[in-house]
Amino acid sequence: MGMLGDLLSRARGGDAEPTKRSTRALARNRRPDAESDAPADKAARPSKKDKPSKKDKPSKKDKPARATAMPQQAFPKVVGPADAVLTGTVIALVAFGVVMVYSASAVFAHSRYGNGQYFLIKQAIFAVVALPTMVALAKLDYHRLRALTYPMLVGATLLLAATAFGLGRRAGGASRWISLGPVNVQPGEIIKVALICWLAYSLSKKREQIRSFSVGFLPHVLMAAIMMVLCLKQPDFGSAVMIGLITFVLLFTAGARLGYMLGAGILALPIVYWLVAGSEYRMRRITAFLSPFEHRYEAGYQIAESLMSFGAGGASGVGIGDSRQKLFFLPEAHTDFISAIIGEELGFVGFAVLVIAFVVLIARGLRAAYLAVDDYGTYLAVGITMFVGMQAFTNLAVAVGLLPTKGLVLPFISYGGSALLVNCAAIGLLLNVSRPREGTPAAELTKKKPRARGNPRLSEAGGLA
Amino acid sequence: MRNLPPKRARFMRFRIALLAAVLGAGALAVTYRAYDLQVRDPLDLKAMAERQYLRDIKLSPKRGTIYDRNGAELAVSVDVDSVYANPRVLQKSGVDPVYAAGKLSALLGVDRDRLIKRLTSKRYFVWIKRRLSPMQAKAVEALKLPGVALMGEARRFYPNRQLASHVLGFANIDGKGIEGLELSLEEQLRGSTDPVPAIRDRRGVVVFSEQLLDDRAAQGDSVVLTIDKTIQHIAERELELAVRTFEAKGGSVVVMDPATGEVLAIANYPTFNPNDPAASPTSHRRNRAVTDRFEPGSTIKPFTVAGALAGGAIRSDQSIDCEDGAMQVAEYTIHDTSKYESLTPGQILEYSSNIGTAKIGMALGRKRLYRTLRDFGFGQVSRVGLPGETSGILRHYRKWYEMDAATISFGQGMSVTALQLASAMGALANKGRLMRPILIKRVEDARGELIEEALPRVRRQVVPIRSARLVSDMMIAVTGEGGTAPEAALDGHLVAGKTGTAQKADYINGGYAEGKWTSSFVGYAPARKPRLVAAVVIDEPLIHHYGGTVAGPTFRRLMDASLRHRGVVATVPGDRPVARKRRRKAKPAEGEVVVEAKPDAPARELPEVGEGERLVPDLRGQTARGALAAVHKAGLGARLHGSGVVVGQEPEPFSVVPEGSPIQLRLEAPDHVREDELQEGQQAASDKPQAGPELAVAAERGRDG
Repeated sequence: MGMLGDLLSRARGGDAEPTKRSTRALARNRRPDAESDAPADKAARPSKKDKPSKKDKPSKKDKPARATAMPQQAFPKVVGPADAVLTGTVIALVAFGVVMVYSASAVFAHSRYGNGQYFLIKQAIFAVVALPTMVALAKLDYHRLRALTYPMLVGATLLLAATAFGLGRRAGGASRWISLGPVNVQPGEIIKVALICWLAYSLSKKREQIRSFSVGFLPHVLMAAIMMVLCLKQPDFGSAVMIGLITFVLLFTAGARLGYMLGAGILALPIVYWLVAGSEYRMRRITAFLSPFEHRYEAGYQIAESLMSFGAGGASGVGIGDSRQKLFFLPEAHTDFISAIIGEELGFVGFAVLVIAFVVLIARGLRAAYLAVDDYGTYLAVGITMFVGMQAFTNLAVAVGLLPTKGLVLPFISYGGSALLVNCAAIGLLLNVSRPREGTPAAELTKKKPRARGNPRLSEAGGLA
Repeated sequence: MRNLPPKRARFMRFRIALLAAVLGAGALAVTYRAYDLQVRDPLDLKAMAERQYLRDIKLSPKRGTIYDRNGAELAVSVDVDSVYANPRVLQKSGVDPVYAAGKLSALLGVDRDRLIKRLTSKRYFVWIKRRLSPMQAKAVEALKLPGVALMGEARRFYPNRQLASHVLGFANIDGKGIEGLELSLEEQLRGSTDPVPAIRDRRGVVVFSEQLLDDRAAQGDSVVLTIDKTIQHIAERELELAVRTFEAKGGSVVVMDPATGEVLAIANYPTFNPNDPAASPTSHRRNRAVTDRFEPGSTIKPFTVAGALAGGAIRSDQSIDCEDGAMQVAEYTIHDTSKYESLTPGQILEYSSNIGTAKIGMALGRKRLYRTLRDFGFGQVSRVGLPGETSGILRHYRKWYEMDAATISFGQGMSVTALQLASAMGALANKGRLMRPILIKRVEDARGELIEEALPRVRRQVVPIRSARLVSDMMIAVTGEGGTAPEAALDGHLVAGKTGTAQKADYINGGYAEGKWTSSFVGYAPARKPRLVAAVVIDEPLIHHYGGTVAGPTFRRLMDASLRHRGVVATVPGDRPVARKRRRKAKPAEGEVVVEAKPDAPARELPEVGEGERLVPDLRGQTARGALAAVHKAGLGARLHGSGVVVGQEPEPFSVVPEGSPIQLRLEAPDHVREDELQEGQQAASDKPQAGPELAVAAERGRDG
């Protein structure tokens, strides 16, 4: 690489002084892989850094210690581990999701890609990335996020805007993805977490002013409105609704005036109506939702098939892997409607266990919110918990025909890398909030237990361990 | 939220709890709804789901195989290729349908215009030609026409061609049984044509079916017959030989195992090739052994005697007055071929005396005679599983005419099938126990699991063991030197049996048809430890008509080969030359039924044949081809006059002529042979069987006696 870099730099130099054409030609030939310029630079850098890095090494170990020492004075001290029940529930859900994605997608994947394990392998890779991310974030003190609030918000909004204005990849009539290097990400997923972080930050900063319209209410609603418009532009109605709900939930938690919120809601109604009635496919979804079997072969097809899946499953299900509805009858079997396949293969029993798992997740999340050391943590915990919980139950409600189709995935279960990563990252934050900190009732509880851990580093795991 | 004022923290907790309640309500709602859908009332939805993915598939199941008793395939279904086309694919690929039609037409001999019409149609599937030869299939494949492909179709195939064809019958092009066991076992062989539930995907592709997964489930059952392919082959070979030799109209052979009642062979002639049944007339496809009834004649006598012995009507050593060859019963006269003073029952069988048997029958009484014959299985279908089986005719004794007790006792005025004869004779061989005849040994499904098995079953003890033994011993004499069938004697085994030579009833004019005979031999061997029982029935032989002469040799050759095949060791040591000698010396006497005859093959002293001389063979009765071959073999020449069968020759048979002398042969159409022969028989001393005035008597006697 170094050689190549040299060669390229020399070739570039050759540009300035027109000497030999052959060199120029070579340079032009090299141009197409312009990326190699950057590696060349990087390759050059280590050679410079080689010497200092050796010197740095001992100091590097000190650095984090110093770094953590500083905020630890500012941030409440972590005295216990993250919520094990929550961690276990999420890991179980993700593992279950990988299995169900395989079961639901095998036939489709075989027909589309000639490889029945296509989605299994991808989802497994996502899980392998997402779960360590969750664990890593659980170790990062959430107070450090404050500093990242605006970069995240701006970055995510820009990405969302980019997709909304046609820079992303289009698939299925919507452009929800954007290519970041080799991976395609859904800014619509990232924006929700960014929003939660920002709302938590903002609400905890504004404290009592939350009740005021101009300071406490309007900015948040405006920000949410911008994001919702961007989502609708994609179009991604589900995400827009979710953003609105998250905003409402956090404003409600913080104590915004109900009057304002009601007013905003009433104001929003005509817009929602206009959006729904003005868009043929959304209107169709509504009518299909209201009477799926009358529109069984058109708009109601998906929901009718979903209901039939549940019916076919019965109390105990047809057995894992034995779904019939996944034989192309039920569309989106491995994504939005994976719960229908769960209902069919594992029956009511399996479905109920799934609901219970989400209830446990929500309960532990809200417990973390109750026990959080400060209101920032509470907002984060409520936001994340409600985000996951609302997604889950909205998805399930759509599958059983209680809500119109929205295009929301089932968190942790449905196929999709962006959603899984974002959800796991969010749970990572939640897990960090759940850690007992000095001066909280939870900390008192953990202190009473003489669970003396030999390794002191664990207790200060809020740092960048 | 410890950083908040307690009041506000409490307030916030309350709001969080409210949110939690909302989510909890959501969880409850979703769970309740799922309960509603899945547990309380899932049936409609389930039915709806099933309706879209369950598809009943109609399969054309593989027809079951028919095996012989040793597992040799007698009837199998094989896949052959049929070629079809998807005209849309063909047209889309840019291949000119006219060109394709031309190619296919040239290859398969299908009408080109019709192919053009089919290939230019807008359809997705058209047949080009069904059931190709492997060569054609290969050639079609080599054409590589897009949208033209081969498809496997099942076709019934009979690997042994005409072997057991009458038993097997045949199936048509759609695999439906038309005749024989293919017809009567249609249900079992066809397999399940019930629609099979299969799971299909939304595109209509069948994804999975438990039944399809194990396609043996739908396949037809396999049938294992009691038929022994080898014995069947022997029987068919010998029967054909006999029918051709004696220029008969047809014939049947039934071979059974007397101990079990298993049918080892049912042969009929003429026969047909079930692979191409249309090539033969319907009459060739008839399973004469079960569908044709005939008057058995003397073969009934042993049963009469057995019944009389069992019923105590006679004693085995009793002497019966045979009225010197003619006996008046009612207004009719019964004749014997030779005049006998008195005979024991054994001798009556040996010489086949009608008068003696009639007396025994009358002694037994019509009721008991009827019961005896009925018990031996006459007049009833045997339910062996072949379609069109006839019961024969054995009228109830209350309907008998006065004459019937006498004539039925020697086999006139009733009719039987070859199978009944063999089966009844098997009862005598099997210690008086009549076995249920078995043809279908086993029915297995495609997985080899037994569905039905026919085990040997005794239908009834017809006569006590003692009586059966006695009659059996008496019948050994039939193939002895003085008996009517020395030709049926075996080397190495004692044979018990009975000949039958019955004039055929003339159904058109009433009475008996002149010169139309049914010659039969029914017997078993070894006589003391019977292993095989066989009935040989030759219908309308032209050349000879005595049961012993016509059916006897067939029986002997059949038994000889079959016993050897079954590994039955010779029980009479060194009998080979003895039997041969016995045959040579035998004086076939004593005609059967009403007809009598002079010795069939007289032991004529052959003249000395010197150097350069040849003995003139007896060519009478032979076909032109056969006569020429015989003359050529004898080293003589021949001149033919007329066509048909040799009816006269010059010089006379057995005269000595110089080598290469021409022999004048007079041939006539077979129809006239009989009359000519009769005249000849009356005029000249001939060794041919002759029908004398008694024939006329018989004709006069009338059908109803």
